[in-house]
Amino acid sequence: MKMEPQIANRIVRNILLSVFIYALPVLLMLLTFYFTGQRPWEKKPVPAAQVSK
Amino acid sequence: MIKFIEAIFQNLSTWGLPVLMVILGIVEFSFGLYKKHWNTNEKILDLVCYTIPRVVVRPLVTYFALKFLPYALPGLKDAFTWVPFWWGFLILCVADDLTQYWYHRLHHEVPFLWRFHRTHHSAPYMGMAMASRQNVIYTMFFSQTYLTTALVYLGLGYPALFVKGIKSIITTLAHSSIPWDKPFYEKKWLHPIAWVLERTISTPATHHAHHADSNDDGIGHYKGNFGNMFFLWDVIFGTGLITRQYPKAYGIKHYQQEEWYAQFLWPILKSKKEGSELSANGPMVKEDEAIVPATEEEPTSKIAVPSELKLT
Repeated sequence: MKMEPQIANRIVRNILLSVFIYALPVLLMLLTFYFTGQRPWEKKPVPAAQVSK
Repeated sequence: MIKFIEAIFQNLSTWGLPVLMVILGIVEFSFGLYKKHWNTNEKILDLVCYTIPRVVVRPLVTYFALKFLPYALPGLKDAFTWVPFWWGFLILCVADDLTQYWYHRLHHEVPFLWRFHRTHHSAPYMGMAMASRQNVIYTMFFSQTYLTTALVYLGLGYPALFVKGIKSIITTLAHSSIPWDKPFYEKKWLHPIAWVLERTISTPATHHAHHADSNDDGIGHYKGNFGNMFFLWDVIFGTGLITRQYPKAYGIKHYQQEEWYAQFLWPILKSKKEGSELSANGPMVKEDEAIVPATEEEPTSKIAVPSELKLT
């Protein structure tokens, strides 16, 4: 049994839109960092052992 | 009692969810919500599908994935621990649930994949008993297991577990035979909340429609409503149908009550039922017989709230 062509076309169209949706929150985060000047990746995480002391 | 409920939610990703499911299942069973469909074959299948993935499949997949990831992504262990929690949460909500939407949708729309997901749809009832019911191959390749494992390795474990917890509550409640969303449709002052709720997350009404055995009544929509945590994907991609009604019957019209081992282990073990999709020479997808249109009642008259959303 083969997939109907219109379903295959709809899958392709929707997957392309999905790529944009996947990227959206990442882009929003990077834009926020850009406009607020935050650079959280430069902060070194404090090891758990030091926190508990 | 409150401390016990608190403990369930604090330990949701370990023992909390199974306990919540057992409690809900007992409530459903006590209210007779499985009707008379829950025979021995279904009981064994539900129990095996509930136990084996939790005890064997997922721990093994996670263990080997964590062993494999340092080779696949060398130097990236904890590389993203700097991502602020709420950004991580948002990114993962999209990444996790959209991936599962696609995993689920493709099992419905690609004929070759249907038989790996059929077991979840063969249950002629809704509820906790069937919520975990899946073929073992579907479970082994389940997107969330790999995604969560990879994200834990990359340092996003905390938001990943948080998303997993919320998602498991929503999907569990969407499968429940307790129609907790009904008051939102019955009370007029709750309609604005219902409007947002049913378009955002999976509810019993929309997810039960996905498990209906027919599309002919204007309520069932087994060729859509694929969303797991978020229904939003169905709204965006036009695969959603909102009627605020619950189907009369669930499962697959051509269900042959295939043996529990064949449903769980197909294609390793096959069904002996002739003509079954799970039998040795069975069809990939068995078409439903043509349905004679009902004459006694117009389907549209059953829709109490004119909020039908059909974007396909």
